[in-house]
Amino acid sequence: MPLLRTERLTKSFGALTAVNAVTLEVEAGSLHSVIGPNGAGKTTFFNLLTGQLTPTSGRILFDGRDIAGTPPHDVAHLGIARSFQRTSIFPTLSIFDNVWLAAFARARSWRGLGWRRAERYPELGDAATAALRSVGLEAKAARPAREISHGEQRQLELAIALAAAPRLLLLDEPAAGLSPDETQRMVALVRQLKGRYTIVLIEHKIDVVMTISDRISVMHFGSLIAEGTPAEIQRNADVRRAYLGGVSVA
Amino acid sequence: MRSANNPEARHGSAGTRPSIGGLGAISGPPARQTKQAWLAILAAVLLLPVFVRYAVATEIWIFAIFGLGLNLLMGYTGLLSFGQATFFGSAAYVAGYLLKYANVGVLVALVVGIAVGAASAAVVGYLCVQRSGLYFIMLTFALNQMFYFTAYQWTTVTGGEDGMPGVPRPAVLGFDVHGPLPYYVAVAVLFLASMAVMKRLVESPLGKILQAIRDNEARAEALGYDVRRMKLLAFVVAGAFSGLAGVLYAMLFGIVPLEAIGFVFSGNVVFATLIGGSGSLYGPVIGSFVFIWLSESVSTIWQRWPLLLGVAFVIVVLFFRGGVVEAWARVWAWRAAQRAPTATVRHDAAP
Repeated sequence: MPLLRTERLTKSFGALTAVNAVTLEVEAGSLHSVIGPNGAGKTTFFNLLTGQLTPTSGRILFDGRDIAGTPPHDVAHLGIARSFQRTSIFPTLSIFDNVWLAAFARARSWRGLGWRRAERYPELGDAATAALRSVGLEAKAARPAREISHGEQRQLELAIALAAAPRLLLLDEPAAGLSPDETQRMVALVRQLKGRYTIVLIEHKIDVVMTISDRISVMHFGSLIAEGTPAEIQRNADVRRAYLGGVSVA
Repeated sequence: MRSANNPEARHGSAGTRPSIGGLGAISGPPARQTKQAWLAILAAVLLLPVFVRYAVATEIWIFAIFGLGLNLLMGYTGLLSFGQATFFGSAAYVAGYLLKYANVGVLVALVVGIAVGAASAAVVGYLCVQRSGLYFIMLTFALNQMFYFTAYQWTTVTGGEDGMPGVPRPAVLGFDVHGPLPYYVAVAVLFLASMAVMKRLVESPLGKILQAIRDNEARAEALGYDVRRMKLLAFVVAGAFSGLAGVLYAMLFGIVPLEAIGFVFSGNVVFATLIGGSGSLYGPVIGSFVFIWLSESVSTIWQRWPLLLGVAFVIVVLFFRGGVVEAWARVWAWRAAQRAPTATVRHDAAP
């Protein structure tokens, strides 16, 4: 059984249908990429999965359970974590606290919520440190998040998602705005996560996706126009047209 | 207090984590600065009655408790509430009424006041957290006005414009707190206890969650925090502190004036907290000192003293958004730079 399955998932904003009857399956343990030109509806698709938006119609089955319309904070507790395309961190908090808060959100018990000192949750401290180590930020743990570079903030973005110990990891263009060097490093990082997490990756740099994905879904004007292995996608004529700026294929 | 103040000893595997300038991985001032701040507050508590009248000194600490509550909302959660007098006044009226007509003890009055403050904040907060930004602020203000006019009209209980006079100050567990000095001591102890509780709270997971909401609400929600519920929790705690302050205020002056539930009072506490420095644990304490001292001392010499407050406010908004606390930190940094020009200065002041 797939970990995630959407059935004719649709989101309309007035006359605009941003996501149009998307049916997609993500196998547990796989890295499934969603690609498509800017404005194809990829981020809207993520926002539906995480509850930031309520679908107009369709179903989202996570582990066999329909979660469409569940508010974001409840979706997080089901074990779905995401990173954002536009860096979304807590700028005045320390890097460590940024990650720690992600771990605490998913902690088994919130006992001592308003009273216990944060350092009295050793297992969460360890989880946070581990997440920072996996992206290579543990040396800067005490720095306020606003003080580090954009590239490092992208790494922190990823660490926050990892610290939630997710069953499903949604990565929204983790390499957005990175230099070629930094992009290489980010791709290496995502490659390391492969197999350890079930990952849905949004990316519009097609070369990045081809090398690391198990399966690829291609979105164009809100609809899925192709799905398959990287090799199959590479041969697909519709995909080429979408990327080479052809008119609507729908 | 636990002795685990050593920043190096924080978190299980502290050995792997670096510590910059005595800072642990957890955000917050280094332990040494915390200790200095507490010593300064303790000294202020002891010395204040030497310089100002007991009533003024007592009012300063009461107003500081009020400010501590607001600061949790404004400084830590990023919620500008213009309706804190709702909780302050409600608690003062209810506890004052019980003290006056039901002969309840001081301890009961305090507990009732805290409960009324928290309960009224739960109701008001529930409505307010449904909206954000300007609408949120207007809601806190509008609901404050509703409470105000209720108190204004309900003359049989509140005395309306005349206030509710004759609030007694009975003995506490055999200790007579009727004199100004014993009452000062009692209020100072409660203030220090409030400080300790608030410090604990802002350093707890909840304190971090609230700051996370202030920084980035959408991300906090995505992490799994029910943002509305957390904001409501902040409201209830702030209301409890306001309630405590309200009861102490009623017992200090022996009257609950109508102003205690009015929007000017709500504005004053925002004003004082901003001048002191919102977002710092100690900001509202300094703000309360500045505000009450100016209003009580300078007002007798110069009628137009609010002008001074206005000037102070403009200076804060233009140059020191972090209030007196930030100004102080900058002076320290500047002096350190003067003494050791080559040494690097840690910029910990807010932007």
